[in-house]
Amino acid sequence: MKPIYFVFVCLLIIAGITGFVLMSEPPQGATGQAHVTIAGISVGGDGAARLKEIGRAPFYFQVAVIFLAVGLLYMGVAKHRRDRRFRVMMVGAAGFAVFVWVMVYTSYEAYLATGEATVMFGFPVATNWMLWGIWGSFVLFDLIFVFFFRDYFLPYEDEAAFEALVRDVKGKAQAKDI
Amino acid sequence: MEAMRQEIILGSVFIYLLICIGVGLWAMRRTKSAGDFFVAGRGLGPIIISMAVFSSTLSGFGFVGGPGLVYATGMSSVWMAVCSALGYATGFYLISKRIRMIAEVRDTMSMPDVVFARYGSEAARLLTAGTIILGVLGYLATQILAMALVLQTLLVGTEMFADISLFACVMISTLVLVFYCVTGGIIASVYTDLVQGIVMIISGALVVLTAASIFDGGLNEASSILLANDGEDIMPFGTLGTMASLTWFFLFGLGLAGQPHVATKMMMNRKLSDNRIILPITVFGYVIAAMLWISVGVVMRALVLGDVGLPLASADEAAPAFLTTYAHPLLAGVVFAGLFAAIMSTADSFLNIGAAAIIHDIPKGLRGRSLNNELFWARTATVLLSAIAAGFALYSHYENGELVALLGAFGWSTFAAALVPVILIGLNWKQASSKAAIAAISASLLINFTMQLMQVKVPYGISAGFLAMLTSMILFIALSLIEKPKKLPPDIDRIMEL
Repeated sequence: MKPIYFVFVCLLIIAGITGFVLMSEPPQGATGQAHVTIAGISVGGDGAARLKEIGRAPFYFQVAVIFLAVGLLYMGVAKHRRDRRFRVMMVGAAGFAVFVWVMVYTSYEAYLATGEATVMFGFPVATNWMLWGIWGSFVLFDLIFVFFFRDYFLPYEDEAAFEALVRDVKGKAQAKDI
Repeated sequence: MEAMRQEIILGSVFIYLLICIGVGLWAMRRTKSAGDFFVAGRGLGPIIISMAVFSSTLSGFGFVGGPGLVYATGMSSVWMAVCSALGYATGFYLISKRIRMIAEVRDTMSMPDVVFARYGSEAARLLTAGTIILGVLGYLATQILAMALVLQTLLVGTEMFADISLFACVMISTLVLVFYCVTGGIIASVYTDLVQGIVMIISGALVVLTAASIFDGGLNEASSILLANDGEDIMPFGTLGTMASLTWFFLFGLGLAGQPHVATKMMMNRKLSDNRIILPITVFGYVIAAMLWISVGVVMRALVLGDVGLPLASADEAAPAFLTTYAHPLLAGVVFAGLFAAIMSTADSFLNIGAAAIIHDIPKGLRGRSLNNELFWARTATVLLSAIAAGFALYSHYENGELVALLGAFGWSTFAAALVPVILIGLNWKQASSKAAIAAISASLLINFTMQLMQVKVPYGISAGFLAMLTSMILFIALSLIEKPKKLPPDIDRIMEL
């Protein structure tokens, strides 16, 4: 499958889920409610009630977004450079990003079910997964860029080919001026 | 030292503003052509570019609007920050190499130039330039308003300026900004970005430590207070809920690479291989500086909900109030300078790309060549643009009453929705067509502006910018797939093979 088709399918899935959410009747306070006494502050209220109509749609939405992001990143490497090792790294990093997302969502669901949350490193567990996990899972892609820069992103041959192109273009421009 | 708090803070900000003016004067001597004014002659090193990229991404929106949003709605807005690693990855995977190559081969100075080089369409160039001007006005107004609000907060604490108006603060802020942008162009902008980036990193790190020490139990205690009061606010999706948070992640994560003030910087580096160094420094800088956004917002919310602090008159006062009340005077001085740094580093980038659109891209699109004496007109356009944006900022504040942050998000979504498909996908997919580019930009502008003007409230807090971006991406790919592939110019074809 060409990566652009994969990206397109992900976009359509995201659009489908968004359409489903838009058609669902939003419960009262779906985006929070004003605090009773303090102006300018909103409260979330009953989180489970807010998800009642749309169920796990947000979970699947974000899975599709992760796949879309990885599909786009995959397109950033020239077709002839995408070898098996590169594909394995991208699939591995995508798998890790999905794992982190599962942890964010399931720990949040556990909080909704029990009303209890353990606070560590300054935040509840689910929030820690979001703060450090989501950020960290995409840092993997940044690390692939840094450590495999000369293999996939700017190999020496490509750099030389580009310099040849610049010489060609500038040579033609000079010849035209003369 | 506590008695001198206000003087120390004002002194720090004053010194910082003087540095900006000094850099402007120094850069003026190095700015001899429009190429120097807009893309610094494509001769900048990796450290300068890294700082310029991250500091112009994290604007007043991150330093003033961000903590305000956390104060008002809990963790929802943090999704705009945690997506940064993805945002920069898309920028460097998909754009950085090709945009720099096109800049060298075609001597491009702006995003509309790149769009023309890729699609060979003057209409696409004009639409991109128009999009940039519209987005710049919204976003620049946000920056000026944020700067003026912070300045007013500082000055009303003094006897001499106790009654200073917001109008006067907008004027002062705009004048300093205009001075160094007009004199030194992008060279002044990126070198002030370097100073600004360093100040922002130091500020971010020190503020986290300060915020963590406000409660005896640190951030754990702050989180526990929030859990006891509401709970949803300190959980991953905040009070706005799942769909609002996730659509922000989409818009800000995938939309970062479409921001012209960020992408244009990728045209300015001396060597292509510098991208390997630029990416990690950028991500590191952003994460440290963004800690201010999260920690200040959480602590201020916990102070108010825990009945320790008084409620704020407006959410945007969260960061200024934290600094003036809880931070050590010296730290407050550095961080206030950092706040100005964050705001000005983005504003100067917007002035630069906006001026390029007015005097370089639109004339080229309409009559096939740019203006004579571009450097003079670039400086004139910079002044004009600042004056309009300052007016827009005052109007937004007095007539609309919206949060600074939401105005910033509108500017961001305008760029993301219009430019992500055209630039991000278009530079990596040969079949992308000019008609699809025109349709995608037009559709995104239509959706964004209609929803903004009609103040449409989307259910579940789904971001209007996300809807515009999703639509434009689908439209762009679908139309390109339907069309018969066209041959690309040989130089662009060769670049897209690399």
